[in-house]
Amino acid sequence: MIEILDLKKVFENKKKGTVSYKEALKGISFMCKPGEIFGLLGPNGAGKTTTLRCISTLIKPTSGTITVNGFDSLKDDRKVRSVIGFLTSDMKLDGFFTPDYMMDYFGRLNKMSPEDIAERKEVLIKELHMEEFRNKKIDKLSTGMKQKTSIAISLIHNPDVIIFDEPTNGLDVVTAKNVTDFLKKYAREGKTVLISTHIMGVAEQICDKIGILIEGLIKELGSLDEIVKRNKTNNLEDVFFKYLEVQDV
Amino acid sequence: MFSDAYIIMKKELKRLFTDRRTVFFMVVLPLVMLPVMYTVMGKISQSRSADIRSYHGTVFIAPEMQKQSPIYEEFISIINSQMNVTINEIPEAYIPTAKELIKEKEAQLLITFPENIDFAFDAIQPFDIHVFYNGASDYSSYFYRRTYDAVNSLADTLIYLRLESLNIPTEILTPVTANRTISPELVNLAKKGSEVGKVFGVLLPFIIILYLFVSSMQVGIDTVSGEKERGTLAILLVNQVDRASIILGKLLAVVCASFASAISSVVGLMIAGRYFLKDLFRSSAEMSDFILGADQILQLAILLIPVAILLVSLVLICATYARNSKEAAGLVMPLYMVVLILSIGTSSMGETVPTWMHYTPIINTVVGLKSVFIKSSSWGNVIIAAVTSLIFSGLLIFFMIRMFKNEKILFRI
Repeated sequence: MIEILDLKKVFENKKKGTVSYKEALKGISFMCKPGEIFGLLGPNGAGKTTTLRCISTLIKPTSGTITVNGFDSLKDDRKVRSVIGFLTSDMKLDGFFTPDYMMDYFGRLNKMSPEDIAERKEVLIKELHMEEFRNKKIDKLSTGMKQKTSIAISLIHNPDVIIFDEPTNGLDVVTAKNVTDFLKKYAREGKTVLISTHIMGVAEQICDKIGILIEGLIKELGSLDEIVKRNKTNNLEDVFFKYLEVQDV
Repeated sequence: MFSDAYIIMKKELKRLFTDRRTVFFMVVLPLVMLPVMYTVMGKISQSRSADIRSYHGTVFIAPEMQKQSPIYEEFISIINSQMNVTINEIPEAYIPTAKELIKEKEAQLLITFPENIDFAFDAIQPFDIHVFYNGASDYSSYFYRRTYDAVNSLADTLIYLRLESLNIPTEILTPVTANRTISPELVNLAKKGSEVGKVFGVLLPFIIILYLFVSSMQVGIDTVSGEKERGTLAILLVNQVDRASIILGKLLAVVCASFASAISSVVGLMIAGRYFLKDLFRSSAEMSDFILGADQILQLAILLIPVAILLVSLVLICATYARNSKEAAGLVMPLYMVVLILSIGTSSMGETVPTWMHYTPIINTVVGLKSVFIKSSSWGNVIIAAVTSLIFSGLLIFFMIRMFKNEKILFRI
């Protein structure tokens, strides 16, 4: 379970002796429950990645609280990291190693026993269809294969909370389907899944709950049906563009 | 914390030591390059000396009318016994042409005598022989030095002749001599191997510090700034690993790698030792004399491990602050220059150094290494050097961990 209350994040930018501030998040609140997929939808620069980075403890919020499975992100940052599997497009894998080695490596860093690592590795390799490239150097893999490897690594410790930033970005249709099916399966197993995306189709297909984030504020929050009904539109795309047009005006 | 650091260190080392290119540049190259470099330099120096010594030169002597002088004949016989030359006696008018030929390196030397040297000798008046040469020519310079020696020999001969003519015993000139009645081997009381140690005491400390720093740069910058740049660091940060463990793991891996490089360079230098001792330094000392005892090896380890941690910490703190590898290299370069100047400066100093040097990091390690190689080290100074290096490393590591926890530094754009 992820609970976010009045989350604000201000970035300070010092350049040539002057300091400027950018308010990336202006006080957002939402909750993501176990068994559901929550989609954070927004254009580039809306604050999606910043939100996910705050939850994953990569960066600290300026104010507000983040609780993940009961652990406070500031006080218990290590415990938060122990229950989440985090993936963002900023994160790359060391191309020198193989997926198999990297899964072992992160398994050990996540305090797993060699037996548990071996068992979990086989499950992930099977679920993500990684058999053919598990022992190939990451440098030699395609974008889809690399993304699957990143997913496998982030989930090696079988976390209760999965946070993926743009998980289908740059993937071919087959791999993207493989990834979304995988996320649905995990949600069915009772895990909390939070994804960010700017692709309406992904949000509509897999998300149980959606938050539309524009310029650091959540403009809409609810299920797909609730949002569409509330805005008296036919689909999510219309809602999304309604807010973007307001913003442009 | 240490178990995570160990896992990270193992992974970093696997990355470094299974990459053929890295292994070649860090370990194989210094091991092979130094012996090859010194062998080539030694051989070139040796063959150049042999070439100069065997060169048949052209010497002009003017004016030619000295032919009948016994002093002149004596001088010519000294020249002929010491140098491989053809002597051309020339009239005074030909002197400018002779000088021109020397300038053009077609002849090597011009020796001019004053008029009536026999008369000057008989009248006990000093006379001056002029020797012209070309300083830009190795052959001409060599013949000039030899002629200088020949003039001194001639002076000695003339003094003896004068004394004999006055019936004064020639022993009057040498009331005292040094080591004429004892073998040179018996007068040198240096400890076995300490002469080789003296040569190594100048060369090795700064080469070791240099290799430790350069290899720390090669590996350290990529391990932190490179990972930041490539985005491979973030995945580590979202796992259950403490940031101090990440720093510690990377630091230990870089220390191991830089140590491997430094050791291979020292071994390379030892292999090269016989060439630079004999051919370059013209030393009679043998490499086989240079054997360090267990105490000295322990002292080397106590000095080198803390200084390696200190140098790696310096590199990693720059790498942590930098946005990318290029910026990190720019930040490390001034430090490299400082370390280089300190190491070379300290290596060239004498055996006794001011007290403050024993308390200044890097400098005290160089002083300590030097004293170990010349076999005059003291445990007190070795331990002071190690402790100061460790204190400074501890401070740098503390700041590095703080920087690693600061998102403004870690995610600088």
